[in-house]
Amino acid sequence: MAGGKADNSKSKANTKGKEKEVKKETKLGLSVKKDDNFGEWYSEVVVNGEMIEYYDISGCYILRPWTMSIWEVMQAFFDAEIKKMNIKNCYFPLFVSPGVLQREKDHIEGFAPEVAWVTKSGNSDLDVPIAIRPTSETVMYPYYSKWIRGHRDLPLKLNQWCNVVRWEFSNPTPFIRSREFLWQEGHTAFASKTEADAEVLEILELYRRVYEEFLAVPVIKGQKSELEKFAGGLYTTSVEAFIPNSGRGIQGATSHCLGQNFAKMFEINFEDDKGEKAMVWQNSWAYSTRTIGVMVMVHGDDKGLVLPPKVAALQIIVTPVPYKDANTQAILDTCAATVSTLNAAGFRAEADLRDNYSPGWKYSHWEMKGVPLRLEIGPKDLEKKQVRAVRRDNFAKTDIAIDGLVEKVKEMLDDIQQSLFNSAKLKRDACVVVAKTWGEFAEALGQKKLILAPWCNEEEVEKDVKARTKGDMGAAKSLCSPFDQPELPEDTLCFASGKPAKKWTYWGRSY
Amino acid sequence: MGALTLRLTSLTSIFAASSSVRPSLLRRRSRPLSLPIRRPLVSNLSAQSTAAEKDAAPEIAGNQKARVSEQAITPRSQDFNAWYLDVIASAELADYGPVRGTMFIPYSFIEKEASHVEGFSPELALVTVGGGKELEEKLVVRPTSETIVNHMFTQWIHSYRDLPLMINQWANVTRWEMRTKPFVRTLEFLWQEGHTAHATSEEAEEEALQMIDIYTKFAYEQAAIPVITGRKSRVETFAGASKTYTIEAMMGDRKALQAGTSHNLGQNFSRAFATQFTDENGQRQHVWQTSWAVSTRFIGGIIMTHGDDAGLMLPPKMAPVQVVIVPIWKKADEKAGVLNAASSVKDVLHVAGIKVKIDDSDQRTPGWKFNFWEMKGVPLRIEIGPRDVSSGSVVISRRDVPGKQGKVFGISMDASVLVAYVKDKLDEIQLSLLAKATAFRDSNIVDVTSYDELKEAISQGKWARGPWSASDEEELKVKEETGATIRCFPFEQPKGEKTCLMTGNPAAEVALFAKSY
Repeated sequence: MAGGKADNSKSKANTKGKEKEVKKETKLGLSVKKDDNFGEWYSEVVVNGEMIEYYDISGCYILRPWTMSIWEVMQAFFDAEIKKMNIKNCYFPLFVSPGVLQREKDHIEGFAPEVAWVTKSGNSDLDVPIAIRPTSETVMYPYYSKWIRGHRDLPLKLNQWCNVVRWEFSNPTPFIRSREFLWQEGHTAFASKTEADAEVLEILELYRRVYEEFLAVPVIKGQKSELEKFAGGLYTTSVEAFIPNSGRGIQGATSHCLGQNFAKMFEINFEDDKGEKAMVWQNSWAYSTRTIGVMVMVHGDDKGLVLPPKVAALQIIVTPVPYKDANTQAILDTCAATVSTLNAAGFRAEADLRDNYSPGWKYSHWEMKGVPLRLEIGPKDLEKKQVRAVRRDNFAKTDIAIDGLVEKVKEMLDDIQQSLFNSAKLKRDACVVVAKTWGEFAEALGQKKLILAPWCNEEEVEKDVKARTKGDMGAAKSLCSPFDQPELPEDTLCFASGKPAKKWTYWGRSY
Repeated sequence: MGALTLRLTSLTSIFAASSSVRPSLLRRRSRPLSLPIRRPLVSNLSAQSTAAEKDAAPEIAGNQKARVSEQAITPRSQDFNAWYLDVIASAELADYGPVRGTMFIPYSFIEKEASHVEGFSPELALVTVGGGKELEEKLVVRPTSETIVNHMFTQWIHSYRDLPLMINQWANVTRWEMRTKPFVRTLEFLWQEGHTAHATSEEAEEEALQMIDIYTKFAYEQAAIPVITGRKSRVETFAGASKTYTIEAMMGDRKALQAGTSHNLGQNFSRAFATQFTDENGQRQHVWQTSWAVSTRFIGGIIMTHGDDAGLMLPPKMAPVQVVIVPIWKKADEKAGVLNAASSVKDVLHVAGIKVKIDDSDQRTPGWKFNFWEMKGVPLRIEIGPRDVSSGSVVISRRDVPGKQGKVFGISMDASVLVAYVKDKLDEIQLSLLAKATAFRDSNIVDVTSYDELKEAISQGKWARGPWSASDEEELKVKEETGATIRCFPFEQPKGEKTCLMTGNPAAEVALFAKSY
């Protein structure tokens, strides 16, 4: 393992490397429990799990290979799916001129305070400062205007994988809120609203699959309120996750229908099939490296990361358990053979054959890194032609016959993937509280719940809810109105305004 | 005008394909394919300038939505620079952005390695304002990541057991260039940059050589570009490197393009950043490092190697569309039959793993479509008309062989015949592009034995190859007087005694001189 070093403390082995390294064993593990201080736990787990390295610039994080391989798995899935939808990849520049940035007013009001500016090249000042993209609507749409002329140029469907920068000052958190992050942003234009509407949901379904099928995180699909929708858009849909430990909702990914607002600003017109001039209907949609933070928060435990097998850089770690007088070489050989069998079967497996760490140290190390399955091979296993399998999610131990290894391992990984999702869903569901009155709402909010409440769907009322819940913990807001609506009896009243309720909406504090 | 928008679904997919499959963590012996670039210490800006580029900049706000095939391409032989810009605009490869074309590095990092900061300083983009506030320390938008990487390596590397440490990232980087050219020199570009740390000098050297080897293979086998691989002169070595290896490609105008580089960084960065490890004997040592990169510049190389007056010419292995099918009908009652046949041909090829597209729009004439897809560089075109339908055959034209010579009639639609034929032709085109580029390259390299001969060759626009053991000053003099630089000391060297073309002293190697991008 390149970079495989559990100890992130500043002390380095200065002399007699070997001795010192062994001593580091004592420093393994987390100093904080997830239930005791969730924030601290999170900071520690992303660093000790070797996902993140803190950097000299606050709010910027180095994404280590352990993180990038997870990102690449999600990227491979999503990229293939959107290609099936005939969406093409492209790359637009990082830099935006101030004029273009300010083109769409509502939009830029949302982003202006967070923009970072390049003002110098080398030692000379630039004539005009150049902005770094916070998102690419205003970068891309002038070209949509150029490229789209007739209905035959539609739909135009582009996506890019890139980095964006939002210079926020509020508490930075790895993955969840960082000044630079990676994402995909899709931007599409259609001749009709019907087509745009359909795509919004098609993409949202892919986001649900990223979370539920890959990250094993349950999400709720729904529509954002007017207050919470994307600035300048028509409506916003999202997948919402919930972090039981902090009692906060988190917007997992968004799929926006922009309507024709941007088309109007950027003059994205086309001649329709009757020869008449019309404006396009647009969508934009994105998910970012935030997904990884959600996964860490949902599954991690007091021993460190817990990675779902589907995204884990390493699914199986094989460790030798040599004893005195045992045939060490035979054990090492079996470890190596086991790894090659597993790799040949398509699993991501490695053996940790380092001789300067004890088996116990290795267990802790790979548990910290969240590897889903550990296979231990000792003299007795050798004798019985078996390996001992230990699951990361529940620490269940099973002896597996070498003969049926591949099938059994596959079964176990599938089961781990499913169990992670099931248990996350149970925990999430246990946090959901239905509140029909302000009293119930306030109480549930105090208990850090995910609140489902009947709402009149008025913007003023949401503002009022925000004002009334303001405090150290941050105000409550609407998370989404789920597509899957429970029945709403006719005379149901809004929990906040007492007016007739129009729909069920999820509320809570959020990231 | 320098920021580029990559439209290339094609070429971005080339990058993406390898990135999605490859783990970012390179293991020893893994041989990933990658793509280009590093600027040398002495920057060699081409003399060609920006006038043409300015003309090519689109007016975004206006209604001048000039369309692809209605634009004439400047003939390549007439003005290579204008041809290049026309091809890019016409083939929908890139559009100029409205600005000049983490990512964030604290300025203090960049300063640590003295020659490094010297090499990059004028090209650094600095962020001084963020979120409406003046920043305490100005931040550099990464021009390359050696300094960040060393910062990380210093924290991650403790003992010899942590070595080799090998990472790669696919990223955007920024160099604030005064003269830009699409793909070749842009303010922002995409690349992969690999960075490795080793316990010994030998291992680092081996790694640097291995990577330039992979780049060479990539150029020949995928891009059909016959690059010349070699070592940079001291003057042209990357800022902060001990040795720079390079692949040099000859463009259609016979200028050289540095298409990929691999650097043996020695201990220069590890000393500056105190990146040390404890060796097997318990001694503290500085690590030995390499870095290597290929960028979107390579795409410019493909265009300028293979393109012709009809537009792009993409090597089949890199083309996003390898075969375009153009159905042809005159009368309405012919249409259904022709489209049916076209569609089944498409299916047959698609199933066989060939990247195929059908252009069945009824708005454009077949002739227009022929030109359009030639412009986009699609290697093979299949035409299907009513007569072909009745005879159960198709007409196939090669992009690389113009006119009737490249056209073959009566290829059976029968799946087994057609698939075999198309695959065979694609392979043939791939090889033929390489052969043609190789012949062009070889006919434009002159062996020289004196400075006069060198000057003569360069003035004819050719590359000069001659023995060299002269000083850095003399190398700079050549540059000043002829505009040519040493592109590399090729790995492949002629045998026998050599005397330096400049000084007459004994020379161990020949060097390759050329004007470059």
